[in-house]
Amino acid sequence: MPGVYISYPFCAQKCTYCNFASGVFPRELEPQYVNELVAEIAAHRWAWQPETVYLGGGTPSGMATGGLDRILAAVPGRGRWQEATIEVAPGTITGERAARWVSAGINRVSLGVQSFVQRELARTGRKHSAEIVEREVAVLRTAGVTNINIDLIAGLPGQSRASWQESLAWIERLAPPHVSVYMLEIDADSRLGSEVLLNGKRYGAPDVPSDELTAELYETAVAELARMGIERYEISNFARPGFESLHNLKYWRLEPYAGFGADAHWFDGAVRGQNIESPSEYVSKTQSGASPCIGETPANPAEERFFIGLRLTQGVLLQPEEWQKFERPIQRFLADGLLSRDRERLRLTDRGVLFSNEVFAEFIT
Amino acid sequence: MRLNYRAEDGQLYQLNLIDTPGHVDFSYEVSRSLQACEGALLVVDASQGVEAQTLANTYLALNHNLEIIPVINKIDLPSAEPEKIREQIEQLIGLPAQDAILVSAKQGIGIKDVLEAVVHLVPAPTGSPEAPLRALIFDSWFDPYRGVIILVRVVDGTLRVGQKIKLMATGALCEVDGVGYQSPKPVPCDELSAGEAGFLFANIKTVSDAQIGDTVTGVENPASEALPGFQEIKPMVFAGLYPVESHEHGRLREALEKLRLNDSAFNFEPENSVALGFGFRCGFLGLLHLEIIQERLEREFQIDLITTAPGVRYKVTAMNGELIEVYNPSKFPDPSVIKHIEEPIIDATVITREEYVGEILKLLEEKRGTQKKFEYIGTGRVLLLYELPLNEIVLDFYDRLKSASRGYASLDYHLAGYRVSPMVKLDVLVAGEPVDALSMIVHRDFAYDRGKLLIERLRKLIPRQMFEVALQAAIGNKVIARETIKAMGKNVLAKCYGGDISRKRKLLEKQKEGKKRMKRVGRVEIPQEAFLAVLKVGDGDSD
Repeated sequence: MPGVYISYPFCAQKCTYCNFASGVFPRELEPQYVNELVAEIAAHRWAWQPETVYLGGGTPSGMATGGLDRILAAVPGRGRWQEATIEVAPGTITGERAARWVSAGINRVSLGVQSFVQRELARTGRKHSAEIVEREVAVLRTAGVTNINIDLIAGLPGQSRASWQESLAWIERLAPPHVSVYMLEIDADSRLGSEVLLNGKRYGAPDVPSDELTAELYETAVAELARMGIERYEISNFARPGFESLHNLKYWRLEPYAGFGADAHWFDGAVRGQNIESPSEYVSKTQSGASPCIGETPANPAEERFFIGLRLTQGVLLQPEEWQKFERPIQRFLADGLLSRDRERLRLTDRGVLFSNEVFAEFIT
Repeated sequence: MRLNYRAEDGQLYQLNLIDTPGHVDFSYEVSRSLQACEGALLVVDASQGVEAQTLANTYLALNHNLEIIPVINKIDLPSAEPEKIREQIEQLIGLPAQDAILVSAKQGIGIKDVLEAVVHLVPAPTGSPEAPLRALIFDSWFDPYRGVIILVRVVDGTLRVGQKIKLMATGALCEVDGVGYQSPKPVPCDELSAGEAGFLFANIKTVSDAQIGDTVTGVENPASEALPGFQEIKPMVFAGLYPVESHEHGRLREALEKLRLNDSAFNFEPENSVALGFGFRCGFLGLLHLEIIQERLEREFQIDLITTAPGVRYKVTAMNGELIEVYNPSKFPDPSVIKHIEEPIIDATVITREEYVGEILKLLEEKRGTQKKFEYIGTGRVLLLYELPLNEIVLDFYDRLKSASRGYASLDYHLAGYRVSPMVKLDVLVAGEPVDALSMIVHRDFAYDRGKLLIERLRKLIPRQMFEVALQAAIGNKVIARETIKAMGKNVLAKCYGGDISRKRKLLEKQKEGKKRMKRVGRVEIPQEAFLAVLKVGDGDSD
């Protein structure tokens, strides 16, 4: 059964590492955006009952009272969803808010912690602290939300082996059932990334760890989290058994999902589509009665199942003709120790994960 | 070109004029043009003065006993110094220049003086129209409609339409379909007789059948002896040309064949490189010739090329006495079978300004030069005569001479012979695999420095791979320099945000596109620029 993604791109501030279409937009846009979002969801012709809902951002936790409830009320099947996640910026959680999320249908919270080390957080523009996160995790649990994810970023400016251990120690202490570890992406789409590319000095760019160190930090996290019982099930995702994100699994298993809001993506099982990126254009388009969708392309499962599917620790089960079609790269990657084969199943090795783009590129024709 | 000129004495003179190239690569063509003439105008730029090739071409003209008329052109330029140039001509060339004609071709100054001088000073041709035909070929090109067009100077006899002719060096027989002359457009006529220059065409399919310097004679009443001075032109400089896109190999071959139709001095043969795939080893007269061909291939035929480092022709004497000519590093024999190697040596003339001499001497010494002459030639100029190995010229000499002199140096050279030298083949190994396209032949004493520089450069040009890559420079089995390219730390995309698969796909496609432009040697992907690194390896002071 499919999932629903709802985009809420508004943030209190734009983080230096952020390379998504979210950020700070005029205040008065937010209520209009919520109205249009509710309208878009309500107008959707549901071919199925949603199984999972994911409210991503941006910072959907910053939404004004009532907005969240209206949005989720528009999605069919509230109360029967297996998983309904909201992304939350630490430092904004109160018992009252948590209770409202739960009553709106939320049963999972993803905390954009990124680091538990104060000087690393300060440089990214984040305003919370480890102690605040600790307090808020307790607040969530009291409110009944136990399915909690904590995001960490490996490769933040100034990060070291010692500071990374500090963040991992906090994970152990808070014991969330789910952790995401992303390696910092250096590209021109974020302020920090473009500063690094230009050899600039702002945002701590000179202190961004080397690729080698970032890779080492990531591998440390893989080992440490496993020791805590939080196993990797996808390149960036780790969970205690039974706590894998059902919604995100749909992406990697090429299952369909609907998408609503600015820069939302969707997949109906055959075609992939995307909404316009900018929230103000999203609002003006939808207000004028136009579709916010800016592009549809037929999905290519024959390729996607490799460059998406191989992200999963379980790997991909290959058909005989696929062994033939990709024989050369597969042989090379097996020999180089980037892939491992178990009967008809192909998996990235630990080393293969670090060079997964090299592997994936060969499966694109 | 033919010009009918009524002189001040009232008589009508027929002047046959030939323009010659100046560059050293084409000195054989120049020599044939000079042989076709009775006199020569030595045109010197009033501000640039005498250049190295001016000198070389003047000596050529003197060797052919031509009447030389010095002309100083561009006197309209603000920087013109005609009096100083006069001095230069006298001192440097040893020609009396007090009567040098001052000209501005642009403004039409002095043109009549030039034509009068030609009429009075250049002797009239002496051949007889009745003698057996002998016509000197001094240029030829391919015309798609009429076949090869040949420019000739008729020395003896008469060349007629319909005549059966023979090209004495190649032995080609054909019938003249047409003759004519340029004035300045082509003007057909019935015949060209002794003393006249013009064109002929005779349905000849390729320029290599009508070689410059060959003699045209009649099949009936043939001349007993060809005109002197014919040489088969041999390429001096060799390089591998490869298509960037391997599927363009066929197109490259067609393009080379077309160029060859028009240029008998250029040749090519198929060559196969482990790194670059299928390509061609091409022979050129020199670097300018190479550049011209390269540019025509890229511009007229739109083929992207990788050119390997230019090299020269070596004469290798094997232990068993056999003589092998080697013009491709990959064909270099195993050192154990080599008795000795001879390399081509040139006499190079450089003319420059005094202030740049220091830098240029340094460069010439570095290039294994031996000084034969150092002469102040007035107006702040210096002439240097050096013996140099040709292989030192073909890599980056022109660029470095230019930068050492800020463009104020001219170079001319001619082949002086071969000399035994301890040449070795320098190989480059990437991750243990020899990369044939990066091999080069160098003097043993230079091998270490060149090898070190080359792999330092390669280290910067080859991107980090998934594993550590060793770069080695080696002579035979002996590694003389080593560098390491560190392994890349990671190449992984963390997030798959909100189901945005297109972003991932775009990134992977971009990565794949980048790899397509690389050449794979063993497990290592090498970008094209790396193959060009060899070209700049002598350039020690910068990246």
